[in-house]
Amino acid sequence: MYLDKSIKEINELLKSKTIKPIDLVEEAFENIEKNKELNAYITLNKEEAIAKAKELENKEVDNLLFGLPIAVKDNIVTKGLRTTCASHILDNFIPIYNATVVEKIISKNMIIIGKANMDEFAMGSSSRTSYFGAPKNPWNKEKISGGSSGGSATTIAARDLLFALGTDTGGSIRQPAAYTGIVGMKPTYGRVSRYGLVAFASSLDQIGPMTRNVYDNALLLNVIVGKDPKDLTSSSKEVEDFTRLIGEDIKGMKIAVPNYFMSDIVNDDIKDKIKDTIRLLEDAGATVDYIDMKYLENAVTLYQIIAMGEASSNLARFDGIRYGHPKENPKDIEDLYLSTRAEGFGKEVKRRIMVGSYLLSGDNAKIYYNKALSIRDDMKQEFTNVFEKYDLIIGPTTTTTAYNLSDSMDDPLKSFMDDVLVIPVNMAGLPAISIPVGFGTDNMPVGLHIIGNSFEEAKIYKLASFIEDKLKLDLNPFGGEK
Amino acid sequence: MTDFIPTIGVEVHVELKTKTKIFSPSVNGYGQMANSLTNVIDLGYPGTLPTMNEEVINLAIKAATVLNCKIRRQMHFDRKNYFYPDNPKNYQITQFDTPIGYDGYVEIEVDGKTKKIEIEEMHIEEDTCKSTHRKEKTLLDFNRAGVPLIEIVTKPCISSSEEAKLYLEKLKELLFYCDISDCKMEEGSMRADANVSIRKDINDPFGTKVEIKNIGSISNVGVSIEKEIARQKELIEKGESFKEQTRRYDDKLGDTVLMRVKETGNDYRYFPEPDIPYVIITDEMIERVEKTIPMLPKERRKKYQELGVSELNANKLVQNRSLSDYFNQLLEEKINFKVASNLLLGDISGYLNKNEKDITETTLIKERFIDLVNNIDNGTLTSKNLKDILDKVLETTSSIKEIIDECGIKNITDDNMIKEVITKIINDNPDSVADYKAGHDRAIKYLMGQVMKETKGGVNPKMAMETLINELNK
Repeated sequence: MYLDKSIKEINELLKSKTIKPIDLVEEAFENIEKNKELNAYITLNKEEAIAKAKELENKEVDNLLFGLPIAVKDNIVTKGLRTTCASHILDNFIPIYNATVVEKIISKNMIIIGKANMDEFAMGSSSRTSYFGAPKNPWNKEKISGGSSGGSATTIAARDLLFALGTDTGGSIRQPAAYTGIVGMKPTYGRVSRYGLVAFASSLDQIGPMTRNVYDNALLLNVIVGKDPKDLTSSSKEVEDFTRLIGEDIKGMKIAVPNYFMSDIVNDDIKDKIKDTIRLLEDAGATVDYIDMKYLENAVTLYQIIAMGEASSNLARFDGIRYGHPKENPKDIEDLYLSTRAEGFGKEVKRRIMVGSYLLSGDNAKIYYNKALSIRDDMKQEFTNVFEKYDLIIGPTTTTTAYNLSDSMDDPLKSFMDDVLVIPVNMAGLPAISIPVGFGTDNMPVGLHIIGNSFEEAKIYKLASFIEDKLKLDLNPFGGEK
Repeated sequence: MTDFIPTIGVEVHVELKTKTKIFSPSVNGYGQMANSLTNVIDLGYPGTLPTMNEEVINLAIKAATVLNCKIRRQMHFDRKNYFYPDNPKNYQITQFDTPIGYDGYVEIEVDGKTKKIEIEEMHIEEDTCKSTHRKEKTLLDFNRAGVPLIEIVTKPCISSSEEAKLYLEKLKELLFYCDISDCKMEEGSMRADANVSIRKDINDPFGTKVEIKNIGSISNVGVSIEKEIARQKELIEKGESFKEQTRRYDDKLGDTVLMRVKETGNDYRYFPEPDIPYVIITDEMIERVEKTIPMLPKERRKKYQELGVSELNANKLVQNRSLSDYFNQLLEEKINFKVASNLLLGDISGYLNKNEKDITETTLIKERFIDLVNNIDNGTLTSKNLKDILDKVLETTSSIKEIIDECGIKNITDDNMIKEVITKIINDNPDSVADYKAGHDRAIKYLMGQVMKETKGGVNPKMAMETLINELNK
């Protein structure tokens, strides 16, 4: 099975014409078919992908990602390929333009295999708000894959293919990566263009790579970053090679562990895995200090205000007038709005739009939204202060391992509390990764969270690859036949 | 009848004359096929993001400067959230907290006195799309969606319809002269709303405010304010009260019509636009824009009159920006500006109107014009000659001298020749000479007429008159 090989091996095989891109594409579709019940995809791009693979046969294999299949989360627009955001309101939406990241992966001749399942409009942390049903965790089909990038995590963990794009507004790449035992990076806010990412919370949203290993992750990040004239919030920071520090010695690195990340909110078996990792780092000559950090416990509250406020405005455009499906023969404009949106949006999305609208109405915008923005600055400053003394911050990515798909969804706060450890990173706009560091007592994967200072993704990859290399975990959920 | 004091505030929306829209690369144009000037950004498609047209910032700085506003150095945009079919994203990107300009004024002349109409603020925003209602259907044209606008809001400091009209005329003149906007009210590139209330005493609190929306012309602004003041007066005198409301001016009725009564304050859920970073306006940017501001109408009028142009002609020149710009390139020359202004506003304007041309479309480059003015000033050409050669002057590139020679124009400018003719006329008309000496002014006009007749109009009238008076007084 070619897709079980390393990226460098696959590249050699392609270069030597031992295999063709079509072999990879067909294998990916076979895998997806075999794992159909995992429900990782909303839409497959079979015909186009095969046509593209054939077209590539005559082209020179000019980069490591050439001809490699990739899954794209369904809130990133793809020209001619249905993009639903896992919502009924867009389930007939076929974009006439590509997101900038899509243009970038196409320019490297990667092949889009399909659109990955997710929470509706990325609102949720178990992918169960998807109009198309939740994806299942390859490690245990009774369990969630996490969310909102649950489909992307599932297809990578199930070893369908090597690359997926996810999006992270409040942990939506890292949390599912932790739950499914894969590598997920949320880059610095502004690193990757948001043009063509259907906005949930504009000041937090960021696209990032989800892969089986750290090196692949850095490779994909290399491709998708860069200033985009179509996105004013994209950074003009110079493009760099994110693999460049991989394999370097970590001796002398200074690492901080906020006490809050190791407090009672985190399950013991997860803390044990993190402590094991910390010992590993100390043995390798890094220093690890436990520190106190302010504001971390406020992050979820701030997140709710900012994310829901922005979402209520971002989702206003779905009115059935220009795209999506409007109610037929509405009585009047009011009826068109109400019926289209009442029928089109799911429960969680409606709840967030309502709360967000309330938070911005009248004087509330000043009391809540503007105040949240100001505390967010304080929080960012707190992180900056830590990074004056430390290279990186680490801790667990999640407080528990993946829970059951059948667990109640009635507690709206629970969904946010799942993300209590990952949200501070979005608030501060920082880069962070989740990598697998073992398994809990329930045999479900445990993720380590590594947070870096702004634009220090390369340093994160350095530490992540060191740990990956030391642990050498077997991360095939279907048994070790390689 | 009790006298009421009206309080009026005016809000003006002006479309900026940019090549492209404010947040997308679509062309900013008028009168094109519906929905031909749009892209996915203007249509508010999912995933699209705004870009920022720098030209908009520059024009807004320019407007703020000529409206004497203070300029905000760090500003952001805000989202104004409301559902309406003409609002593609169902939020409009505008400036709420940090308008680019504030605390400005425009000076108007009322009854010979200068009054400052104070400007509360001016901000940048995007236009909505245009809806057309056909029976049960509403048609949407997104060509206008995303056209850059500035909204200019006065303080409630206007006290009559006359002042409101003068303010609008002045505003229009300034924005038009600075190439900020076409200011065509009939095409909607300038739109005015008026807020009107009345009260009995200056110490009373303001009366109930009525907003009159989207008035189609400056004169209708005047009419609608008058009508609204009268309507409010009548209600108050009858002892009736009325609610804060929005009305529109109906041109056919010649009156305002109720649109909606304001029940509660609108809740637009404003918050800072997260897709557009803060815009920092530097001294350098302002200086760069200031250099592009042309001489303004007020200054032009003053300058022209200082150079000897009559007040009437100065005003007429300024009303025609193209002629005024043409005239401005002469200001450093040593010519007779009175002659120059007469020439431009007289025969040349006549030609331009007849042929629907702009002065810059003729062959009359600055050097030839100066030549022409001097030839008239020194009497080589008479106004009659000018009419004969005008087409050649404006349509060929021959020098003025060549044209004069070619047409055989030879005016008598030789002192002795003039003297000879005049002596003959004096001798031939003893009665008129006697009348003149008896103090009848009319006689000299008759004698001059005879001189012109004798020379078939070929004499420099100024020189002839001087010589005639000299000879008569001998």
